[in-house]
Amino acid sequence: MNRGFNRLLDAVVRIDVRETTLEDGVQRIVSGIGSGVIISEDGIILTNAHVASTLAVEISVTLASLERVNARLVGWDHWTDLAVIRIDVADLRRRNLKFTYAEFGDSTVLTPGETVYAVGTPYGLTRTVTRGIISNNNRPFEDPRGIHGFEVGMFNNWLQTDAAINPGNSGGPLVTEDGRVVGINSRAYIGADNLGFAIPSSIAQRVSTTLVKQGSITRSYLGIVPGVLQDLERFYSLASNTGMLVNSVDPGSPAARAGLRPGDIVLSLNGQKIDGRFPEQLPPIQNAIADLPVGSTVKLGVKRGAQLLNLSALSEKLESRVGEEWAFEKWGLSVRRVSRAYARENQLTDDSGVLVIGVQSGYPAALSGIAVGDIITKADGEPISTMSHLKEHYQRYVDTPAPVLIEAQRNRRIALYVFKP
Amino acid sequence: MKFFRFILIGLTLIGVSRAADLSALIQERLASIVTADFVIQTETDRHPVTVAGTVIDDQGTIIIPGSAIPSTISPDQVSNFKLHRPGGTEEFAATYLGQDALSGWHFLQAEERLRHELVPITRFAGESPVTTRLGDELWGIGLRGKDEDFNPYVLTSHVALIAKLPNETAVLAQDVAGPGLPVFTPSGQFAGLAQNSYGQNFLLYSRGQNGTPVMLLNVEESSVVLLANEVLPRLKRIPTSVSGRPIAWIGVYGLQPVDPEVAKFIKLEKQSGVVLSDIMAGSPAAQAGLQDRDIILAIDGRPLPRLKPDQVVISYAGEEIARRRPGDFMTLSVLRGTERHEIKVTLGDEPKMIREASRHYFEKLGLTIREFLKYDGMVNRSVPGEEGGVVVHFLKPNSLADTAGLQMSDWIREIDGVPVKDYAEAIEKLSAIESDKTRGDFVLLASRGGETKVLRIKLK
Repeated sequence: MNRGFNRLLDAVVRIDVRETTLEDGVQRIVSGIGSGVIISEDGIILTNAHVASTLAVEISVTLASLERVNARLVGWDHWTDLAVIRIDVADLRRRNLKFTYAEFGDSTVLTPGETVYAVGTPYGLTRTVTRGIISNNNRPFEDPRGIHGFEVGMFNNWLQTDAAINPGNSGGPLVTEDGRVVGINSRAYIGADNLGFAIPSSIAQRVSTTLVKQGSITRSYLGIVPGVLQDLERFYSLASNTGMLVNSVDPGSPAARAGLRPGDIVLSLNGQKIDGRFPEQLPPIQNAIADLPVGSTVKLGVKRGAQLLNLSALSEKLESRVGEEWAFEKWGLSVRRVSRAYARENQLTDDSGVLVIGVQSGYPAALSGIAVGDIITKADGEPISTMSHLKEHYQRYVDTPAPVLIEAQRNRRIALYVFKP
Repeated sequence: MKFFRFILIGLTLIGVSRAADLSALIQERLASIVTADFVIQTETDRHPVTVAGTVIDDQGTIIIPGSAIPSTISPDQVSNFKLHRPGGTEEFAATYLGQDALSGWHFLQAEERLRHELVPITRFAGESPVTTRLGDELWGIGLRGKDEDFNPYVLTSHVALIAKLPNETAVLAQDVAGPGLPVFTPSGQFAGLAQNSYGQNFLLYSRGQNGTPVMLLNVEESSVVLLANEVLPRLKRIPTSVSGRPIAWIGVYGLQPVDPEVAKFIKLEKQSGVVLSDIMAGSPAAQAGLQDRDIILAIDGRPLPRLKPDQVVISYAGEEIARRRPGDFMTLSVLRGTERHEIKVTLGDEPKMIREASRHYFEKLGLTIREFLKYDGMVNRSVPGEEGGVVVHFLKPNSLADTAGLQMSDWIREIDGVPVKDYAEAIEKLSAIESDKTRGDFVLLASRGGETKVLRIKLK
């Protein structure tokens, strides 16, 4: 192989992560293995958000030289399944260890059929190289609960490859023959033959730069759920190559307040024509909306029946459906703050309360009969609208254990429970 | 030794004479039992149903279990009622009288020529209902299938448990009768009516599988008996209309029991309560001023009893409503926060039920739509005033509507980009679309769980 490829091999690392999980009503540590690629001389490593997340408590990196160093999370973005970690450079210097970093290639010029290689740690087999081709360079794919319940996809298309991608390859690079990183391997259809997906480098470069600077990505939200226009152009009497169908408008969202309705066709966004006829055209449009500054006025050119409308919406900050999580160990209860997105998805009256995501068998919460999916709305008669409210009640319980009366809702139906010491 | 032999003969004689008695009792009581055959017609299928029934009066009125006809099935989809006597080959006609909201039973009436052959179960009930105690022996009858002329057979068992669920119910050690059939004391007195049996948990061991939990449910025989003191008063509730109306309605949909721990916490000694939520706007409950979180403590001054399991108190409250009639009053003592309120509710008339809703099947589309009901407003969390449209009631698999992505219970809001005002308008539009041979497609806006979708239905 050429020099560039050898250099790339030296920049690929194995990542061992120990992270917390709150699923059983108690904080437990689980460990996992992934891959990553060093992309700068100051030790920045690009990997997947499902490898290194905010739940990570310990990240250790194995370099090509087989030396292990610690790393910490710099930032993550579940929407694009990307995370950035930084190795402890001071430690490296002390131990006199060296590393190289990889260079990006241009993912936008890739063509189907081009040879690519995946490098990573499938099933813990370090430094595995597999070969394949770009099977499709523009594959839409989204999973509303893909990473620990967080949303994935929506804002980018993916590279599809037949280079073998197995569990553990996650976060490793997809490279061209000259060793340039054109994608970050993310997922594959388990059980299918060689249907692997990677985040294109054009997206990865942008996201990683922002994550290094800001630790997270801020996106704008309007509340439009788009649909594919394909075959409906004639029904809506549209000129060719124009418009995005509005399948649904989130209740209470900026788009709803602006008067947008399901069945409307958005023709332009801030004066720019849009074309959303095919599934792969939707993520770039969603991304264009997300890229607008939060709190800005967005002009939507809309066609409703024969009518042409100009609507304007005030963009909000995009929020995940997954809110802050916490475990109350003496109750054997883990909970998640109800987010606006979750409240909308479940047709709740508002976003107050905390959602039960785990109960530990034999502990007060489980014994009271409360179950995963219940939303705690009151404790001892006082409303619980945020996590901190429940934390206060828990603290009181820890200080002087006494029964607590909990009010919870499931599908808007109210029930009472007692957490008994 | 002679002495010993004498005793042996004596025992045998007693045994024989008892058997002869029982046999006579059975023969007599078979006249209170029939099987009912009928057909449930859906859009594309016909489901034959066979159930057991019990004769309750001299007019040939017969009750069959509530589960015999699914609750979404309209009476006009049920037809061809045929009755058979146990072991008989002759077929008799029957008419459908309706369902009682309290007991859930469906009522039938036998054709005239059969009536004189039948004996109402009340004939065996005695002056007052028999009291059943733990350990009592009871017997009942099971019926074989149609291919065996519904031949009767006898089952005997002992009462293992008596519980208020919320009605007094005996559970026997073994199955004692077919569901819907009467159960008797050894002397032949009516003791109760067998209900649908309860599931029993087993572990299933098979090759390669170790102890998979399974629940088995005997559909032919049951060990669960609703006791005579509960059955007899309900026999008078013969529906006056096929729809089962009038049906009393309060309009509260979220009812949760107060468990003993919570009861203790809110200082409810030795009684139970029901937490209210999901009160339908404009319903009798809302008009009377009942609110979410109110806890019902008593109905008409009678505290809610502590019943086991906790959930049974919900059925108790439900039956308190069902036994009343629209326009009746009900005084609820509720706990609101720390205060007790007495709230007088005037019960209303149950809003139109799914089985009563107008519906239409579009054969070419493979789609049945039905009118949007108050109940659909609850399910869809719709905003009052934003209703309208129709609901998908049936989808034929692989039909035009099905392949377009429509799903059961979808709420159709728009047809061809125009909001659907009501059922009549939807029928008109879809009929026009279906009969228009030049059209290639049309578009629906459907709502599902609060999210909408534009669906294109191809006609060609």
